[in-house]
Amino acid sequence: MSTIDDTGVVAGVARLRNATTLPTMALSLLTVLMGWLVLFQQVGETNEYLGLPIVELFAISVLVQGLAIGGLGVASYVGALQSTSDRTAGLFTGAFVGSLWAVVTAVLVTVVAGLRMVYWPGSSVWIFSGIPVPLGILLSLLGGVVGFLAVVLPREDLGATLPVSALLVPLGMFALVGPLTLPWTYEPGWTTVVFPGSEVLPFAFFVTSLLGCWTLAKISEGFGATGRQRGAYYLIGVSVAATLGVLGMLVYFIVDKGFATLSTGASFDGWGGRLVLPVVDWAVPWFDANLPFVFNQPGGLFVDVPGVWPAILGTIWLVIGALVVAVPLGIGAAIFLTEYVERGRITQLVEIVTNGLWSTPSIVFGLFGMAFLMPRLSNGGRSMIVAQLVLGFMLLPLVLITSREAIISVPDEYRDASAALGVSRWKTVRSVVLPAAMPGVITGVILGVGRIAGETAPLLLVFGGQPYPSTKSPVSGGKGILESFSFSLQPPFITNSALTERGTALPFQLYTSITAGSSPKPEVFSLSEFGWGTALVLLLVVMGFFAIGVASRLYFRRKLNYE
Amino acid sequence: MTDVPNRIRDYRQRTAPGAIAIHVLGAALFVAAAGLFWRGSGLFGVPLLGMVGLTAVGWRTHQGETARGLTLLAAALTVSVMLLIVGYLLVHARDAFEHMGVELLWMLEGPFWEPPSPEGNYSLTPLLVGTALTTVIATMVAAPIGIAGAVFLSEMAPERVRVVVKPGVELLAGIPSITYGFVGLVLVNQYFYAQFQTPTIASYFAAGLMIGLMSLPTVVSVAEDALSAVPESMKSGSLAMGSTEWQTTKSVTIPAAFSGVSAAVMLGVGRAMGETMAATVMLSHSKGIPVPFFDVFSRYGETLTTVIAQEAPNATGGMHESALFAAGVVLFVSVMSLSIGAQYVEWRMYRKLGGES
Repeated sequence: MSTIDDTGVVAGVARLRNATTLPTMALSLLTVLMGWLVLFQQVGETNEYLGLPIVELFAISVLVQGLAIGGLGVASYVGALQSTSDRTAGLFTGAFVGSLWAVVTAVLVTVVAGLRMVYWPGSSVWIFSGIPVPLGILLSLLGGVVGFLAVVLPREDLGATLPVSALLVPLGMFALVGPLTLPWTYEPGWTTVVFPGSEVLPFAFFVTSLLGCWTLAKISEGFGATGRQRGAYYLIGVSVAATLGVLGMLVYFIVDKGFATLSTGASFDGWGGRLVLPVVDWAVPWFDANLPFVFNQPGGLFVDVPGVWPAILGTIWLVIGALVVAVPLGIGAAIFLTEYVERGRITQLVEIVTNGLWSTPSIVFGLFGMAFLMPRLSNGGRSMIVAQLVLGFMLLPLVLITSREAIISVPDEYRDASAALGVSRWKTVRSVVLPAAMPGVITGVILGVGRIAGETAPLLLVFGGQPYPSTKSPVSGGKGILESFSFSLQPPFITNSALTERGTALPFQLYTSITAGSSPKPEVFSLSEFGWGTALVLLLVVMGFFAIGVASRLYFRRKLNYE
Repeated sequence: MTDVPNRIRDYRQRTAPGAIAIHVLGAALFVAAAGLFWRGSGLFGVPLLGMVGLTAVGWRTHQGETARGLTLLAAALTVSVMLLIVGYLLVHARDAFEHMGVELLWMLEGPFWEPPSPEGNYSLTPLLVGTALTTVIATMVAAPIGIAGAVFLSEMAPERVRVVVKPGVELLAGIPSITYGFVGLVLVNQYFYAQFQTPTIASYFAAGLMIGLMSLPTVVSVAEDALSAVPESMKSGSLAMGSTEWQTTKSVTIPAAFSGVSAAVMLGVGRAMGETMAATVMLSHSKGIPVPFFDVFSRYGETLTTVIAQEAPNATGGMHESALFAAGVVLFVSVMSLSIGAQYVEWRMYRKLGGES
């Protein structure tokens, strides 16, 4: 089949196709990008480029895309454009385009016919004006089905293009000549909300251009399997990039706004000094710095810049407590399940239980701590020790699961070799299995710690104290935790008054800065400034744990691969 | 469990008498400590200290057997924590179930929630509607984009992009929910209030969007693991038959990893449903059923989780607290059935594909 002549003809046809599709694709990609920027307020919706308002440029772009898509589809169908079109455009395309048709029909129904369902207070009467809601839903479903069939039934070059074109061309036209302009508003009957054109239009342009880009990518490869591949890659690539952009922007906001708070009153006092950490009295050699937002307490009369030091210490203590609870229990249970019992009913039971614990919502753990642990450990009040236990229970399933996986993945040859030397089972576990499994266990624990360090919900129920404590200690009594241990000959022999007090931690501090309603020092920080700063510190602490966890996993994985 | 006598005989034959003594004594001390703790006595520390001492003695004389006993204890404690959580939820929720009957779950006309009166109505219906609305919106954001992201990372992205983006996504999965809530409150809620004129500054739609964005990295991460676990040989076979890479992804890789991908989505839905902080901060905490029920911009805003977070710290016991525990039970049951569903799907696909891959 593939003679030199054929290749020449194919190349020529491809060149012709590319000459029309590639510029249009570039146009639609640009529209997607600009639509995203306008949608997330990075570019004003009234900006002007090339002497035209950006909305008109969008409209022209969508119109051009729609016409090009429709024209190329028809050209391919009548044979003017050579393509390897399949019999149908496929169910996925049908579902995607069909659902957009359903949305457009719903909007049209509510705009043209009105759609209102009002509940008359005091009686159980539904009053309809326009058309009733169920009929409206039915109509839009019908629109979706029509769109779906229009895609699926004809040959691919028509099915993949015309239903798309039918969305793009009217949008472009109505946006160009009206009524879809910036001051236009959409007021559907089912809600009191008003959708302004300034927000809805960029979104519509973004979605339709994404659709256009996808279809044009298909056309540029002449439909068929290769066309659908190119289309799918563009669709997925662009939407993933857009979403990553949103998440990246979120992190950027926190870092940007938080940094302004963090650096308030901050100074670097040169190398060679000593930085003494408050409360714990540790000295960091090499340099001295002044970071009031980190090292100060949030409340109190004599604080110039409110800070989050007690919350940082509280988070550290909570993490330590949770580790003390979860690590021995989790690793012990994992050893028991892998080394001492056969796979059977018992392991299955524990598996179900651990999966259950892992998926239990955190607030439920809080309820449990409130009902069961608080009366028994701190006379019914919120306290540090209960919070440590609750977070430990939340960490437990993760430690168990990862330790178990790590222990299982230690090759049996190791155990056999050890047993052949006459070493007992426990000594084998202690000196062969556990060291080999340690990397996996450590990684799992660090990742779990990152999760519980940011956990807030149970703290509201079992730990949270004053919104803005005026001491630098994490607990409300103002004492250090280690100094508060006292021993006696009376039962219970060991007591620690600090552990039974309520206190604060970073996520809880962020929550209180939202709910307290006023900033600790309004003349220094506004409420949201204090919040952004706390959010940044929390993010840094949690991300620190995660970065260590991810890096150690990469390190151990690489090390294992080389062995 | 018919072989219990055999097992006991086996155990007695294989274990030294000293070790048996340590096991029995340790078990007795532990039961005593647990019993005292259960009854709320501060004396539970005494048998606990005894256990520590016994362990120290046992570690010197019969290390292997002591370690075995300790690991058994750890496994038993893990299971009992779970049982305690379930048991305590049910016990505390009983009053509310008895007081309200079916209306606890299904009640169409208010007043729905009348704390702190012990005789008043406590119906979870508006909270169920709220949870359903936020979860559906969150799933509509997280499921399609999450799967697309996983496909992108595992099948399409060049290695250089992958090694950067994959750990990045895992880092994003670790951002605490309260942070999302704060950003949602300060930016997203404000945006909808200013531009769309929502009746209150909070709305289910904004909260659902934020929760969806939040569960997105989890879905991507777990689904990507499932997709990259599909053996290369299956893909090569398909490519050798002349399929394009996308056809292979669509017809071989995704179906083969279907269990893992759907487990990822269910995990995401479970997280969205159990998500507390972002919703607590972003919703208005007024309880009612929107008219029509899908009006996600209404002035109402309360879910099963937010009501607990908002009211449990100040609940004074009695029917109000019991109703909050009932909300916890409903939440627990829904999330648990999702989790079990995910495990079932995984197990079935494993049986179906296990022999082939």
